[in-house]
Amino acid sequence: MARLGGAVLVLWLVATVTFFAMRLVPGDPAEAVLGGPGSQTSPEALAAVRAQYGLDQPLPVQYVAELGRLVTGDLGRSYALRVPVAPLLLGQLGGTLLLAVLSLLLAWLFAIGLALFSTRAGRWGRMLGSGLEIGAAALPHFWLASALIVVFSSWLGVLPPVSTPGPAGLVLPVLTLAIPLAGFLGQLMRESMLTALEAPFVVSARARGESEGGIRRVHVLRHASLPGISLSGWAFGSLISGAVVVETIFARPGLGRTLLNAVTVRDVPVVIGVVLFVAAAYILMTLLTDVAQRIADPRLRRA
Amino acid sequence: MPPLVHHSRVPRSLVAVATLALLLTGCSASPQATESTAPVSGGTLNYASGDAEPTCLDPHVGGNYPQALVGTQFLESLVSRDSAGTIIPWLASSWSQSADGLAWDFTLRENVTFTDGTPFDAAAVQANIAHVQDPKTGSSTGYLAVRKVVSTSVVSPTVVRLTLSEPDSALLESLSQPWLAMESPTALARSQDENCAAPVGTGPFTVASWVKQDAITLVRNDAYTSPPADAAHTGPAYLDSIVWRFIPDSASRYAALQSGAVDVIDNAQPDTIVQAGKSSTIRHLDAPRPGASNRIELNSGRAPFNDPLVREAFVRASDVDSAVASLFQGTATRSFSALSSIEPLGVSRPDLFGYDPEAAATLLDEAGWTGRDSDGYRTKGGVRLSVVFPVSTNQSIPAEQSLFEQLQATAKAVGFDVVLSPLDLSAWYTALGSNSYDAVSAPYTKVGPDVLRTLFDSAGIVPAPSGYFANHAQVNDPEVDAWLTEASQTADAPKRAALYAQAQNRVLEGFYVLPLYDQQNHYLLSSVVSGTRAMPTVSTPTFYDAWLNR
Repeated sequence: MARLGGAVLVLWLVATVTFFAMRLVPGDPAEAVLGGPGSQTSPEALAAVRAQYGLDQPLPVQYVAELGRLVTGDLGRSYALRVPVAPLLLGQLGGTLLLAVLSLLLAWLFAIGLALFSTRAGRWGRMLGSGLEIGAAALPHFWLASALIVVFSSWLGVLPPVSTPGPAGLVLPVLTLAIPLAGFLGQLMRESMLTALEAPFVVSARARGESEGGIRRVHVLRHASLPGISLSGWAFGSLISGAVVVETIFARPGLGRTLLNAVTVRDVPVVIGVVLFVAAAYILMTLLTDVAQRIADPRLRRA
Repeated sequence: MPPLVHHSRVPRSLVAVATLALLLTGCSASPQATESTAPVSGGTLNYASGDAEPTCLDPHVGGNYPQALVGTQFLESLVSRDSAGTIIPWLASSWSQSADGLAWDFTLRENVTFTDGTPFDAAAVQANIAHVQDPKTGSSTGYLAVRKVVSTSVVSPTVVRLTLSEPDSALLESLSQPWLAMESPTALARSQDENCAAPVGTGPFTVASWVKQDAITLVRNDAYTSPPADAAHTGPAYLDSIVWRFIPDSASRYAALQSGAVDVIDNAQPDTIVQAGKSSTIRHLDAPRPGASNRIELNSGRAPFNDPLVREAFVRASDVDSAVASLFQGTATRSFSALSSIEPLGVSRPDLFGYDPEAAATLLDEAGWTGRDSDGYRTKGGVRLSVVFPVSTNQSIPAEQSLFEQLQATAKAVGFDVVLSPLDLSAWYTALGSNSYDAVSAPYTKVGPDVLRTLFDSAGIVPAPSGYFANHAQVNDPEVDAWLTEASQTADAPKRAALYAQAQNRVLEGFYVLPLYDQQNHYLLSSVVSGTRAMPTVSTPTFYDAWLNR
């Protein structure tokens, strides 16, 4: 119950901050309705649009009206795209979620693989693993995306540089999001794996005669994944923000690209809608993270 | 019309390819290897636009370039313009004006129907003018273009009369623009949302579907009969369909072209144009937009640029030539005109815009900016010589933004503090509307020299309630106003040219603007695409004559 209340509070704060941020930066939302800023709109047309959308009302009045609509579950109509916001975003949600979930999974695979390899492979392996992780974590999405396009599309010609309906079009966008994240997760995993390898429960497992590989896969990995799991909630949020860049570069439909276009023309209902969607997904992800932590960590279940 | 330019390095590689082809085919010229093959019907052309996705496909609503780009494929105008700048017949086969210039009769092409079956006739033209002039439509570009039209009447089913409030020498040029294209009155009667999703015209293609944030699909109109007078063929188009996508990132767009995922891209940037020049499978179409050149406008409405000496000093302090050469790598030609090089009445004054930092320093001394502050900038009465320069990151391409930074550096050497502030489109228009700028670079696309009136008539200084105005240099010269008004009303072509020349010389000699280059508009085409040209009106590509040789 307390969690639900917290979630509602977060959504309200997010909508409020977004509304005022969008209306206080320079720019006129009425122009979005009339083909975008600078489309040399006639004063009559602008006045008509302001009246039609209530943009001539004082800001607090507009805020209350907006909030009233949101409470009833109505996200309103896009100024620029001339369609209701909810179906528009639902249509874009799938692509972004697919991208985020696949990237998260791939990042975990990379991170686990790298951690298992580097903790086993001795000093040089550790240095190599650590170097790869720091390097990967530091890569900006826009740079990585362009580099992947140059290598896999322009030079090798094996993958499409822009989104295509088939799975091939997903490879480069997913790699772009997964690689930096794998760097973060891998660093965390390796640190806690090294700590766990010295821990008493590992010593006792060794004493019981369990194989070194088995110890790593069963006991150590489970222990080492804990910080990574709690980081996944945050990671999901960062994937959504990464989607803004990745969807733009790979010309994929999705929430990120929708958000970018909407901010540019001050399409307030769409911006609020996307931000609410992302906030809701973030809350959901935090809950899932809690559940996952309970599964991975028996101590939490007993508590 | 801007020629279909092969990059200078292509001919050599074409020779190599042709030689290779000769060797491979045992010295019999392969018909596949040349462009002179007969057109083939069929196939789907994939187009990738770097422009924003239109919010409405009906160019009457708002009226911007992305709408014109895609609209050119399925909508047509009353008249067009040929490559020499002469107005030629399209949906209107002939026209005449009354002696006082207040009544224009347009004789329409017969047996033309819109793709929904509605006949194209005088009543349809009436409905279109009414639609553009209706405030509910929210037309801007089209609305401004028919501002002098006070009424329309049907003389006969094939003759429509436009009655004007005052003579308009720019009427035909205005009507040639895609923002005044003719749409089916039946379709216009639908709700605006419906009409925005799939406008109905007389063009060679029709809008089959538009999945927002994804792609627009256009299919061939098999009953097409109305190409403009300068088209290469008659009858339906060759292509079965066109898929129109939006790829905002320049590098991805070029990679998509290289990989064959798309066949044509627009908004090609200098680096990709140079790269494409090394490729034998990519051609370059350089089609500068009509209307104004890209120029830096100096706000003469407030200090420091209300002093002509300071404006001239800024021009002398700006090393434009070196910056254009290094950043545009030969893809842009320096302009010395307020108008695009495709406008026949443009006046070019290379003598006025030379780089001379010593002369700039002398001019600033003369203007009283003799002090220096601790940062090395010039001062006058304790005030720093600063130039607030809002830059639209949506409209200025990266090379242009870098160019402004280089000019900032050369101007600093003379003592100008140029404050560049990169802004998104909405914030940028707000900065202009609130008169908080000293320099700005704003594109303006319009067919014909009447754009000068938009840019330099003192009526354009007062911002409209939308915050929009176009006289950013705030030129306030009664003589310029009088010349431009007279030019817009005279039916005497030589007199019109002389008046526009007079006005341009006054503006250029007053250093209100620093011309840079034409509005850059570069297309890259895969060599599988033949028969594409840019319309000589607003330089949008037309795929009516295009075919694919895959």
